[in-house]
Amino acid sequence: MIGWTIEALAAAIRAGQISPVEATREALARIERLDGELRAFICLDAARALETARRLEADQRRGAWRGPLHGVPLAFKDLCFVDGWPTSCGTRTAEYFRDEQDCTAVARLVAAGAVTLGKLNMSELAMGPFGDNAHHGHARNPWRVGHCAGGSSSGSAVAVASGLALGAIGTDTGGSIRLPAAACGIVGLKPTYGRVSRAGAMPLSWSNDHVGPMARTVRDCAVLLQVMAGPDPRDATSSPERVPDYLAALGGPAGPDLTGTRVGVAENFFFQRVDVEVAAAVRKAADVLARLGAHVDELHVPDPQTMSDVTNIVSRSESSAIHARLLHDRPHEIQPVVRARLELGLQIRAHDYLQALRLRARLTRAFVAEVFAQADVLVAPVIPEPAPPLAHATVGPVHELAERQGRFARLTRLFNGLGLPALSVPCGFSSAGLPLALQIVGRPFDEPTVLRVGDAYQRATDWHTRRPPVD
Amino acid sequence: MTNESRPQQAEVAALLGVIERMAADLALAEEPARFITALEMGRPLAASTAGDADR
Repeated sequence: MIGWTIEALAAAIRAGQISPVEATREALARIERLDGELRAFICLDAARALETARRLEADQRRGAWRGPLHGVPLAFKDLCFVDGWPTSCGTRTAEYFRDEQDCTAVARLVAAGAVTLGKLNMSELAMGPFGDNAHHGHARNPWRVGHCAGGSSSGSAVAVASGLALGAIGTDTGGSIRLPAAACGIVGLKPTYGRVSRAGAMPLSWSNDHVGPMARTVRDCAVLLQVMAGPDPRDATSSPERVPDYLAALGGPAGPDLTGTRVGVAENFFFQRVDVEVAAAVRKAADVLARLGAHVDELHVPDPQTMSDVTNIVSRSESSAIHARLLHDRPHEIQPVVRARLELGLQIRAHDYLQALRLRARLTRAFVAEVFAQADVLVAPVIPEPAPPLAHATVGPVHELAERQGRFARLTRLFNGLGLPALSVPCGFSSAGLPLALQIVGRPFDEPTVLRVGDAYQRATDWHTRRPPVD
Repeated sequence: MTNESRPQQAEVAALLGVIERMAADLALAEEPARFITALEMGRPLAASTAGDADR
């Protein structure tokens, strides 16, 4: 699995070079061998995965193709409800979340032929940017023992980076797709708010939750998004916006060409209090985009801290309402720092919550008008420092842990409030061998441009071809 | 008051500072649903709304 992309494996299966059962067996063997250390999975069902693969193989023999993911092994964050499997959401309760139907994003991937390997580790209740989890074991950064995997979609990033699954679903309320993708050296896309249905995924904050793909390449994320995106009657906030052909937007075999694309490099906020290696890698990545023909210029980002605070007020308020029962009935089961974040939300008045929602609307109009008058995409760092040691996430007084969490998600959270598509792409390694990442942010529903810039960057560089030392 | 609740109250106060600074200037017509309108108005010009045909 470590050598395949989703696109390549799907093509090989279609060409009869490898069967769905062989691909699934290979993934399961790899999980069996490596996941005791990596802790990417919360729930694995080898029998069910192989049964699905055999059914797909029988379909293949009679020429029946389910779709572009026929026989491709994937795994899903353990907040996606799938009937027959418990959904812990990273809590101590195995069946914390249930829904009437399967998670829409999962159901669409499965309908397109994907094999579900299992459900993936995550921060408790999707609250926490480091990916630590006292209940299910800390997901391990595959690049360096003892370092955080990033969160909250920690298992998704670890599984993909380590070749346990070719792609995964993550969710992102303040950076939870992009942060672990950045920390583990893979690609993660938080789509536009409403682009992918949230139905069947545990809510953390209705206004800021996004479901999105995680994979090793931008092209693979485009393949997954193509299947996941689109309106859903089960999610009133899903958008009726037309779903474009994302792969077609990436350009042909002639090579990456960004001529005419305007790239803005954030001149304020995003490079302040950022590790020097991170800042240097992102600026070098912007230089690569310029060499590919893009017009790169610095631009001023309006009110980033204000938008980040507004997003935080909304998230804290909504999450404490959603998880009030757990907080009231079984507070002792919640990790102290997670409990503290939920309790903080109880102290925000309805008046302040509503004002934050009203401010969000105004700030989004201003941001979109000002930034995208000057650029087609904005680029910035994702994580302010390479993945820190696990002790940074787990050792210290609760208020200090919460502060560290806030700092680590500082460069991603505002884009949840803004609802804009934001992509994390690997752009180098620190001197300690930990991945560094570039964030590419676009206009609402302009995933095609965001993916095109990310794909062009990957075609011109080889960071995404490096493998972590897990074998 | 516990040792943990003191920094939490300070954090809440700091977080809500943005409301104190900015909410008074909001237009009466400003409402949360305008966020969705902002996304729809901000999309690329070529994009358009489609019905169920796409899904």
